[in-house]
Amino acid sequence: MSLDHPVHFARRRRARPRIAPIAFLTPFMLPFLLIFVAPIGYAVVQSLQKVERADGLFGAPTTVWAGFAQYARAVNDSDFVASILRVLLFGIVQVPVMIGVALVLALLIDSQSARLKSFHRLAVFAPYGIPGVVAALMWGFLYDPRLSPITAGLATIGIDPNFLGPGQILWSIANVVTWTYAGYNMIVLYAALQALPGDVIEAAAIDGAGPVRLALQIKVPLIAPAIVLTAVFSIIGTLQLFTEPQVLKTITTNITSTYTPTIAAYSAASANDYSYAAALSVLIAGVSFIVSFGFLRLTARWSVTS
Amino acid sequence: MQDDHNECAFIHIALSVTRCPPLAAKDEILKSHLHVHRRRATAIALLAVATFALTACSAGSTSTPSAGTCVPSTGKVNLTFWNWGTGMDKAVDLWNQENPDIQVELKTVPNGNAGTYQNLFNGLKAKTAPDIAPIEYDTIPSFRLVDGLKDLSQCEGMADASSKFVDWTWSQVSSGGAVYGVPQDIGPLALYYRKDIFDKYGLAAPKTWQEYYDDAVMLKAANPEYEITHFSQTDPNWFTGLLWQNGAKLFGTEGDKWKVTVDSAEAKKVADYWQKMIDQKLVSTDLQGFSEALNKAWDTDKVLTWVSAAWGWSTIRDGAPDTTGKWAVAPIPQWTAGGTVNGNWGGSSSAVMATSTHPYEAAKFILWLNSDPKAVSILIKESGIYPASKAGADDPQLAGGVDFYGGQKIFDTFKTAGAQVNTDFSWGPTMTDTYRFMADGIAKALAGGGTLGEALADTQTKTIASIEAQGLQVAK
Repeated sequence: MSLDHPVHFARRRRARPRIAPIAFLTPFMLPFLLIFVAPIGYAVVQSLQKVERADGLFGAPTTVWAGFAQYARAVNDSDFVASILRVLLFGIVQVPVMIGVALVLALLIDSQSARLKSFHRLAVFAPYGIPGVVAALMWGFLYDPRLSPITAGLATIGIDPNFLGPGQILWSIANVVTWTYAGYNMIVLYAALQALPGDVIEAAAIDGAGPVRLALQIKVPLIAPAIVLTAVFSIIGTLQLFTEPQVLKTITTNITSTYTPTIAAYSAASANDYSYAAALSVLIAGVSFIVSFGFLRLTARWSVTS
Repeated sequence: MQDDHNECAFIHIALSVTRCPPLAAKDEILKSHLHVHRRRATAIALLAVATFALTACSAGSTSTPSAGTCVPSTGKVNLTFWNWGTGMDKAVDLWNQENPDIQVELKTVPNGNAGTYQNLFNGLKAKTAPDIAPIEYDTIPSFRLVDGLKDLSQCEGMADASSKFVDWTWSQVSSGGAVYGVPQDIGPLALYYRKDIFDKYGLAAPKTWQEYYDDAVMLKAANPEYEITHFSQTDPNWFTGLLWQNGAKLFGTEGDKWKVTVDSAEAKKVADYWQKMIDQKLVSTDLQGFSEALNKAWDTDKVLTWVSAAWGWSTIRDGAPDTTGKWAVAPIPQWTAGGTVNGNWGGSSSAVMATSTHPYEAAKFILWLNSDPKAVSILIKESGIYPASKAGADDPQLAGGVDFYGGQKIFDTFKTAGAQVNTDFSWGPTMTDTYRFMADGIAKALAGGGTLGEALADTQTKTIASIEAQGLQVAK
């Protein structure tokens, strides 16, 4: 093992300034640091502060260091902890269902006997094109027992579902999220299926695999890394659930100001409790990181093809 | 949910991950790559830390002290005025015509709680706030907490301005000799009810809350689909208006300390009353305030009354057009027979932001806007407000009957109602938090998982914590 070789290599590199990489990176790095990294850093710094005031009912405020006081407050906040548990429960149910739906649709559209592939791809993807707020409002009207044609129709056959009730609202939201994002995930999985080598599929067909066996035992294992990836992004998105519950607040009476962790952070910021909101945001990011990292670890053997 | 700018990246990753053969790394190349990568990583990390430090250092607290002096500026003055709602432009045009030296530029913005208050807070820090903005009475303490409002007491015309406005509104905008705004409009409570249905069952407009309850029971027995009213979850300031009526003092001060008495006996009495109505299913628990479903419920004779503010008359008119001529307005039910106490829901004042460089001119404008008969007349007609100015209540536009209410002269009821509002009610310094704690508690009660009394107790504890988190002291 030659020790000289790498050092010589590096020294030669250091002698010539490399402008090209820096020139290409700067237009990306500058906005990235300013718009993405710096606010995150600022939030972290803010979460370590608190407000103290001079004497008086409206004493002048000063921001002082508070160590992890805001984090301690967040951990002791039963509403915030409940919101984290709520989105975790939501995620455990909704993500597998949505990825399952996306996978089945992708396999169906990719199968030999599929007709009108382009139309179906577009139709399933279309909900993703609708702005989240509009979709949530529309579904809200479809759920509202006094306004919805669905509930009116179901009532005639004797079924009386309460989509917006306290026990059901979470799953009604899950339905909206699945409807919106299943098509998006389906496109990703479909792209992965398209990239599969044709000779493997042919070999399977020659060996006598029917379409179902081909799908379940050949295609799915081969696109396992793509499935893991869509699952990770879905988990991260689910933990930051915000739009749908926030919009449904105007239609149902069952959504509180700490329903999801992001809503809780937003409520704190709206009350000018910035340090606390920053701490909540950092905790949300932390939980997202732990859960997604844990999930990647768990599925590591499926993420790398041999 | 999923970042759009991740889209392309991860599709490529997804494709490459499915096809990439395992890397067989040569030791030397790997080492040199790692060396360069480590240097690059360190450089990026240092850059990042530098950026954090810079931004963190520049984040100081900037509070502009609002001086008690008020001197005229020289030369032509341009004022910026943020306002929400419609119709303000006509009043501003009139002022600009009559005052060539003080020109006001109007900008229409979303509702205060829909983002404008946040923009104002940010604007105060960044010194980009307008000169004038509307501030609702319950939000004035939040702005005072960041020293965001100019004290107008020394400005011309303010010394004797209090007599121009309904008494309790002046106590809302002033404190200890300082004046933080000029009252613009008010929302005294009254009872909107379906006169046709009440007449059908031989019921008169209820004069006491006991009568209101009895009417609710009677109507429910007559037709199970009837609900006397909805119970809004997203309008905690409606509920505080009801507490206000019963003389509940939610907040007070004790020297330099705040006093929080959200769960006082008077408040609990109101809470228990409405909890009884919720338990007996006399009020609807699934209708959100100002929602389409509520409009439909009004329109289809399912919800029969609304305890609401003076400005609510157009809400029913616009939401339930099929019920034209069937509603009437009565004074709000009383707790004791023959009582004349009331609460308030909403209403706002015009305030001058602390960063304004022309407080004298701004004060002149807002005093004119809210007390000059011509200006108030325009506001009544175009913005649909119920004025806080005493003279405004006698405006001829408010003298006639309103078709939607069967030709009833509803504004006469509001005028009496406005004068009956309790003068002894003040707000806390973190009303956004107090309101949301109350709304959360109401959500729980409506779902059957708690009571309104417990909601008050919960709000009490959480509000104390929220005030202390702002660095203020609370008297125990």
